[in-house]
Amino acid sequence: MKGHSLRIGDTVKEIQGTIDPQEERGTLRIDGASLEVSFKPLYPGCYRIVLEGRPYTVWVERQGKAKHICVRGSAFIVEDAARSKATFARRRSIEEGPGEVTPPMPSVVVRVLVNEGDRVEKGQGLLVVTAMKMETTLKAPYAGIVKKINTQPEAKVMPGDILVEIEPEVESHE
Amino acid sequence: MFKKVLIANRGEIAVRIMRTCREMGIQTVAVYSEPDRKALHVVEAEEAFSIGPAEPSESYLNIERIIDVAKAAGVEAIHPGYGFLAEHPLFARVCEDSGIVFIGPPSQVIENLGNKTLARTMMSRAEVPVIPGMLEATTDTTLLQKEADAMGYPIIIKAAAGGGGKGMRVVSASSEMPDACVSAISEAEKAFGDPSIYVEKCLERPRHVEIQILADSNGNAIHLFERECSIQRRHQKIIEETPSPALSPELRERMGEAAVKVAKTSGYVNAGTVEFLLEPSGNFYFLEVNTRLQVEHPITELTTGTDLVRHQLEIAAGSPLSLRQEELLQRGHAIECRIYAEDPAADFFPSPGKIIGYQEPTGPGVRVDSGVYEGYEVPMHYDPILSKLIVAAENRELARRRMIRALEDYRITGITTIIGFLLDVIRSVPFSRGDTFIDFVQTHFSGWKPDKDLVRAAAAAYLVDEMLGAPQPQVTVSQAGYPTPWQSLGAWTL
Repeated sequence: MKGHSLRIGDTVKEIQGTIDPQEERGTLRIDGASLEVSFKPLYPGCYRIVLEGRPYTVWVERQGKAKHICVRGSAFIVEDAARSKATFARRRSIEEGPGEVTPPMPSVVVRVLVNEGDRVEKGQGLLVVTAMKMETTLKAPYAGIVKKINTQPEAKVMPGDILVEIEPEVESHE
Repeated sequence: MFKKVLIANRGEIAVRIMRTCREMGIQTVAVYSEPDRKALHVVEAEEAFSIGPAEPSESYLNIERIIDVAKAAGVEAIHPGYGFLAEHPLFARVCEDSGIVFIGPPSQVIENLGNKTLARTMMSRAEVPVIPGMLEATTDTTLLQKEADAMGYPIIIKAAAGGGGKGMRVVSASSEMPDACVSAISEAEKAFGDPSIYVEKCLERPRHVEIQILADSNGNAIHLFERECSIQRRHQKIIEETPSPALSPELRERMGEAAVKVAKTSGYVNAGTVEFLLEPSGNFYFLEVNTRLQVEHPITELTTGTDLVRHQLEIAAGSPLSLRQEELLQRGHAIECRIYAEDPAADFFPSPGKIIGYQEPTGPGVRVDSGVYEGYEVPMHYDPILSKLIVAAENRELARRRMIRALEDYRITGITTIIGFLLDVIRSVPFSRGDTFIDFVQTHFSGWKPDKDLVRAAAAAYLVDEMLGAPQPQVTVSQAGYPTPWQSLGAWTL
């Protein structure tokens, strides 16, 4: 069985499957559970999928390498995990703090709190961005020296844009 | 009646107001900011004027610019919708002074009711029950501390100019008061330009129950029953329903009478909402008056058979109320869900972007008030509400099931919405029992994640779609070394 590593929202699911396309049925292994699946294409981008006896009408819209999948009102962005590092960085920056200083969503820079050459502590606020009436402070992922600031107030910024470059502090051994 | 009205708003509410205008034969004028060039309210209007850049202060809050457009377009009245300039006494006054009818209460009424402590004083004099607490706001932290200590904790600090949870703090012990006062004062100053705050008793598990009122300029006032809006996140409502599962006919009548008294005491004209907090004991307390059309007004329309925007326009044009209290009846049950572009699994973080796929639910008892369409780019500059899904049915349980069906049928892809979250709330045991209160979401749904079965179904769909539609055979799922006809056929379309 060929394995797939799918990123769905903020989780990665390891999936293996044996599917007979002619019979329109097969078996999937998700999260270690073995699931019976059958399916029927209804019209382009729309399928009826029966998983463990439960029917779902599912819509799939392709955008680049991602698929936008809607099932019973819930929409998911599903990507091959190996090809989707950029999208994951967006989510991680919300939940764990980013490895890079990039906004979690398209936003506008409100204030820059540091200057080039400043020494910053891990977790120190670097700049404030706003989107849809909410303000968020982007923080330093690690201690270091601010090498470059690539933005200014009122700039429109996107996830993946590196707004502040920080040179990590070399750990000293005293 | 007016021949031409300007709608000084955007999104679903502007579209909703224009629909009634068109039904009444009133011409509609839209205003829009730069990123809203292709917004639905621009499409819906008969005329549309650009009023400036994205920043609300330079467009939708730009009084001078909006008045200029109103004059140039030759409108007789302006409907402010909700938010933006809707509860801005200065805007109402400028309209009055420019000879343009502001569709809402007189500027003085907006000003009086917008000052929370003044409103509390006014209501307590009229013997409408108010939440025990200070009647005058201050920045004197010693006085605030003294009042809070005397009242007993927990207490809640509020800003006199208040709104949207700004300047609001719940304080559970005397020792926390000094810090809480300082930060609330600074937040109030920043948000409203008025640093004064006051202290109120924190009620135990209250419900948010509000009464819709209508009043004409001849001093007639009626109420159109209640809406319960206890399900909130960040002090903002996400699910509303009527009737409230908590009201007996007797309590409903008392609250309705109190709301009418509020309307008469304040000299209210046009549509408004009197908000109350209701304790499990049945005691209710005046919270504030929203001097505008509410987001959740459709549930009242569906259960009373009225069009509140039509009544607003008629009242603003000087007509007497065409409804009488004794003629009004609540029929059946209605529920509204606000469809926000937010990620409920990431603390309701906004999620702007392009809507790739879009299909609204339909069928018996379903209404969608929407401001978006397929291919629309949801801008990052404004409130993340996309639309409102409203259902009505014969009773609460039938309305609840109808809402589940309609939410399941609502397809929005490309951006993250709260639909999956709303479904889980509506399906939950406490909601189905009607056991709702203001901290419902924090109590029952903190740390919410999407339904595991749906995630699996999405994963299965990915693989099926990949296999049936992808031109690259190596990414299909199949038994190794066994080329299926789907692979050997190459690319094809269904």
